[in-house]
Amino acid sequence: MIKFHPSLEQLSEFAEGSLSSVEAIMVSAHCDMCERCQQVVASETERLAEDVLDSFDARQSSEFERMLSSITQLPPSDKSDRPSRTTGSCEKFTIELDGRQFVLPRTLRRFVDKTGNWSSLVGRLWQAPVDLGFPGVANFIYMERGGSVPEHTHRGTEYTLVLDGEFRDGINAYDTGDFIYMDGDHTHAPKSEATKGCLVFSVVDQPLHFTSGLARLLNPFSHMFFR
Amino acid sequence: MLVGIPLEQSNSAIKPKECATEMSEYIVTVAEKRCKKSFARVFGYFAPRLRSYALKQMGNEALAMELVQDTMSNVWQKAHLFNAEKGSPSTWIFTIARNIRFDMLRKLQNRKEDVCSDDLWPVLCEQTPDANETSLDEQITLEQIGFLFEALPVKQKAVIEAIYIDGKSQQEVADELSIPLGTVKSRTRLALQRLKGMLNSHDQVSS
Ligand SMILES: [Zn+2]
Repeated sequence: MIKFHPSLEQLSEFAEGSLSSVEAIMVSAHCDMCERCQQVVASETERLAEDVLDSFDARQSSEFERMLSSITQLPPSDKSDRPSRTTGSCEKFTIELDGRQFVLPRTLRRFVDKTGNWSSLVGRLWQAPVDLGFPGVANFIYMERGGSVPEHTHRGTEYTLVLDGEFRDGINAYDTGDFIYMDGDHTHAPKSEATKGCLVFSVVDQPLHFTSGLARLLNPFSHMFFR
Repeated sequence: MLVGIPLEQSNSAIKPKECATEMSEYIVTVAEKRCKKSFARVFGYFAPRLRSYALKQMGNEALAMELVQDTMSNVWQKAHLFNAEKGSPSTWIFTIARNIRFDMLRKLQNRKEDVCSDDLWPVLCEQTPDANETSLDEQITLEQIGFLFEALPVKQKAVIEAIYIDGKSQQEVADELSIPLGTVKSRTRLALQRLKGMLNSHDQVSS
């Protein structure tokens, strides 16, 4: 069950098109998995449209006339420009780890080709870096059963979307589809006890800051960790 | 050369909601008959409104007019993608404008690799990710369904397996797994939704 959703404000700004690229893809990918938020976005969009297109200024008619006649000379769009289907190939919308396939939400599929190889980290943790093409450090992170990330705080912000499985972080328990936002105020130590482990997609804008025990030793290297 | 399409600028303060039915009909006529007169009605109503939105967003007359032109060109060329059951004309046209604005802003900053509006809001894709039977067509092989099924979350998979493969009733599944019937129902619904979603969006992949 999805318990953690983007805020109403985030959903509204998503509908408006004014979120940053990172926030927009995280909210959009969450909506791919969350019917409730899809509905919120749909009704926000409707409200915004009504609001935005309510006012106008009646000048400019000659320019509009020229525009109108140039538009109506355009041919209708070719219906055959529908995307050709790649039958039988699934690699475009899934990522693989250790023989297991994970189907990604629609929004994240653009990154399949931009995902690097999995590498093993401490604590039964795997990560595959994603080249977003815009600012933000993104990774697919897989926690094997019992896998954990050392306790840390965030210097910047961290968005995490649970793609498959469950994990706990000492604050909450998260399930598939949950949208998690963390910043400097939060300290957490993610850990998965799900039999099949847990796959998440995470974007941070600053290196993590480790707070406990030996993991503190990681701090000088944290820019290498989750990069 | 085209002459004299009457451009009626409605000065009246009719709200988008109030003329939704009328505008829907015009857009459908544009889609079916390429009717320039109907388009002129839609254009006359929406272009000035879009310009006012675009000016606020882009802060520059030339860019604002470009945004209006691109938006209305899409309305003309892709009128067949409008579906009155899914939303009002103003919502559809607003989402087209919002998408174009989103891409324009990123292009202006020379961010070619950036996320594009189609990734976030597939408004103008020939197939929208709406779940309907037609996309469950011959292109989807059994193997792929099995494949998508494998990708379901464990709990949903168990429920679907019991109901659709072992042929158990929802109540039986609830008893067997010692979970409330409501949970079985919601897991089934979620799983089917997810499968449908995956199949539909699977159609859109490629390019
Ligand atoms: Zn949600």
